[in-house]
Amino acid sequence: MVEKVGAEEFLVNMGPQHPSTHGVCRLLLKMDGEVIVDVVPYVGYLHRSMEKIAENRTYLQYMPLTDRIDYVSAMFCNHVFCMAVEKLAQIQVPERAEYIRVIMDELNRIASHLVWLGTFALDLGAITPFLYCFREREKILDLLEMVCGQRMTFNYMRFGGVSRDLLPEFIPKAKEFVQYFKPRVDEYEAILTNNPIFLGRTKGVGILDQKIAIDYSVTGPNLRATGLRWDLRKEEPYSIYDRFEFDIPAGTNSDVWDRYMVRIQEMRQANRIVEQALESIPEGEIKTKTPTVFRPPKGEVYARIESTRGEMGFYIVSDGSTIPYRVKLRTASFSNLAVLPVMSRGWKIADIVAIFASLDVIMPDVDR
Amino acid sequence: MIKEQILQAFQNKFPQKIEEFPFVGMDVAFKVESDLILEVCRFAKETPELGFDLLACLSCVDYLDHMELVYNLFSFTHKHKIAIKTSLPRDGEIDSVTPAWNAANWHEREIAELFGMTFKNHPDPRPILLPEDWNEGYPMRKDWEGKDFVRLPKK
Repeated sequence: MVEKVGAEEFLVNMGPQHPSTHGVCRLLLKMDGEVIVDVVPYVGYLHRSMEKIAENRTYLQYMPLTDRIDYVSAMFCNHVFCMAVEKLAQIQVPERAEYIRVIMDELNRIASHLVWLGTFALDLGAITPFLYCFREREKILDLLEMVCGQRMTFNYMRFGGVSRDLLPEFIPKAKEFVQYFKPRVDEYEAILTNNPIFLGRTKGVGILDQKIAIDYSVTGPNLRATGLRWDLRKEEPYSIYDRFEFDIPAGTNSDVWDRYMVRIQEMRQANRIVEQALESIPEGEIKTKTPTVFRPPKGEVYARIESTRGEMGFYIVSDGSTIPYRVKLRTASFSNLAVLPVMSRGWKIADIVAIFASLDVIMPDVDR
Repeated sequence: MIKEQILQAFQNKFPQKIEEFPFVGMDVAFKVESDLILEVCRFAKETPELGFDLLACLSCVDYLDHMELVYNLFSFTHKHKIAIKTSLPRDGEIDSVTPAWNAANWHEREIAELFGMTFKNHPDPRPILLPEDWNEGYPMRKDWEGKDFVRLPKK
């Protein structure tokens, strides 16, 4: 496809090192003047062979590596790995551990969306929201550091529960954060949502048709912005999500503005879930006892979870020994990035920056 | 649709070719032969009662004497889930399922370069994750020897 360059067309390289490509991704743009004719993504700069390493570590030794698949929302990667192994070995998780897992997941969802919002606004030229978002994110990282000692790659969940209990100071501080965060989302909206420059750059840009999105296995906020109100926390409730009340935001026009609005609403809903979980967390154990030499039974399992970018799944084949036979990571960003060429034909080069940022793709998720 | 009805629908259309096997986390899982895979996938997607429109995961497992491809399919409308497996010899060829779901495009490129399988009629068979000048074999195979790669002893 890059061989046939027409008489007026030329190739521009948006190289692996670029401030707007959110990681190491190379985009080859075939342009006709300023209009884009085709985009070819070249990925693989961050390929660390996570799947090959998994065949060489025991199950518990692999847990810190799952953090690094998607380091901005590392709790989800831990959670889905634990879910898959617990399904296979039929381990029950105590209630307090489930509540703690939900609180950590939703706090991590807010933190990841704040990173996305800051960098998305920065790509479009709005510099102030970046610092506002990172100010809030510091408070969340303080809470997470109080729980497990780490700010970004947690290694917190274990098969059968979590590794450490919450400190007594955690719950009052978390309740304080929840009340502090509610007017902050309104602050970000006040800067961006009705700003004429922002609307001019995002309304009607980068439209993704729902049928094409389903065909390319796009999941998460990108799919919800096309109008399909699909969220695994409501459709296939895992953990204890069926006890909480929350809404699923969805868009109508499936442009960049809709994807932005869906994520803003998701931050509000995640805040709601954390508030409800903090009210009703019970006392109890935090982990069921598992044998030191952990050998799950022979078989295959597939588990999936609604992570910040979409559906994240683990396919594990076990042969009855302490080391997994095959671990396949189904990551959300890999499928979401494949739809970029379809979405960006016919737009100008400045729109590519907005479209790519609105997909919320993280490169370690793509390359593993 | 419940598990027995799904299995029955496939068995009616492809008699004697469907073999069930246990798979935790899915409603139903069965094996088919590798030359039928494109027809089975098209049938799974286009039949209104089945309606499997999401290809979530396409993985390849190396069992040393043969390789297996596993397709995990989900449905947005009916909310059921199945897994389809086919078995191939190493260095084998199989039809690409890109006509059914475009999501398979990038997944198949990854399997082709990491395991050494060939997908017939694939619209874009270029390597995706490994560098362009990679010539050291197929890394995800179980018998791949790379320098500094030390295997843990099995227990």
